[in-house]
Amino acid sequence: MSKLAKNWVEWTVFAVGLVLVVSALSYLVYEGVTMGSDPPSLEVRLGAPEQRTHNFIVPVTVTNHGDETAEGITIEVSMENAGGQEPVRGELTIAFLPRRATREGFVTFDQDPRAAQLKARVLGYEKP
Amino acid sequence: MPRRKSKKNGTCRSVSESFQEYGRGVAGGLMFSLPLLYTMEVWWAGFNAHPWRLAAYVLATFVLLLGYNRYAGLRHDAGMTEVAIDSVEELGLGFIIAALALFLLGRITTEMPVNEIAGQIVIEAMTVAIGVSVGTAQLGGDKEDEGIEGDGGSKGQSEIHFGGQTLLAFCGATLFAANVAPTEEIVMIAIEISWLRLIGLAFVSLLIGSLILHYSEFTGAREFVRTDNLNTVVVGSIITYAVALFAAALILWFFGRFDGVSLYTSLAQVIVLGVAATLGASAGRLLLQ
Repeated sequence: MSKLAKNWVEWTVFAVGLVLVVSALSYLVYEGVTMGSDPPSLEVRLGAPEQRTHNFIVPVTVTNHGDETAEGITIEVSMENAGGQEPVRGELTIAFLPRRATREGFVTFDQDPRAAQLKARVLGYEKP
Repeated sequence: MPRRKSKKNGTCRSVSESFQEYGRGVAGGLMFSLPLLYTMEVWWAGFNAHPWRLAAYVLATFVLLLGYNRYAGLRHDAGMTEVAIDSVEELGLGFIIAALALFLLGRITTEMPVNEIAGQIVIEAMTVAIGVSVGTAQLGGDKEDEGIEGDGGSKGQSEIHFGGQTLLAFCGATLFAANVAPTEEIVMIAIEISWLRLIGLAFVSLLIGSLILHYSEFTGAREFVRTDNLNTVVVGSIITYAVALFAAALILWFFGRFDGVSLYTSLAQVIVLGVAATLGASAGRLLLQ
């Protein structure tokens, strides 16, 4: 075997590389050991409605508490009218929600939702 | 990385020489991995893949780098310790470059959970690391060093190292096939293709492989490929194609393309991707030497 001839730059790069590789592998192993196999479990939270120039917007926050990614999530937000009419519905689609990730979006309404009662629910999603 | 020897034989390379080498490595890493850094299926695979699968991917890349640095580096006299050290450096550079690129592209943000960030970096870093290795070895303009391995080179001509050549073919196949493997197009083609066309693709792959290796006078073909008679040509082409199919299957498995599809679709995907892998295993292998 030839003698290892390296200067300080090369030893530094090697040391940094070793730390990165070892920590990446230990992280993956840790994740692999601690991770369960729960299907996606989505929590939807609604923020305070705001008035914009042309419509009203309601902020929507979705968090995936499961261990798997949810794909193509459809969320419906419905506004119950006081007069007992059909509720007005708004919809939001999110392409991907990895495990433990949070995504934010908005649902818009023509009528003022600030006084009405808002309900949000996840209609469905696929496995990736 | 596969290093050149210092101009002053046996002593340390100067600091500026080292920086030049890392510069080549970074350029190569970006060049070879750019298509994958800009492919959304790869980002998705980063956070969809199970941690075990990602860990297996890191280990597989490390083994690939060991093989590449051992057989394709300019210094065939490098010891295993040195090859291992070089491979770790390349992986490290891969992580840094991938993280920076993904950050600048806006694929990783501070609001993301750790697993999403880590998954994307790990999956992209592996291709970058292979690019760093190939770049350092291939992009150098310092030709005078080649005299050092002149003796070894002539010996290499007389006996073609079967294991080393197979490994290089595998490296080339992986490097080429990885660029198209994660895309939806492979699945789409595989689902829609008729069996006659599949056979056609397999036949074309075999033909391309044998043409490149044995008849097209590619750089290095004379040196590294045996074209004694029809028998060696046929056997050589079949081995190359087998290596290509194996590499294609491995990458597809990694990107989860076999999950929940029929055996026929899986096989069709392997053959469709096999065309790219064969190009890598034949032309790529000669260029990687």
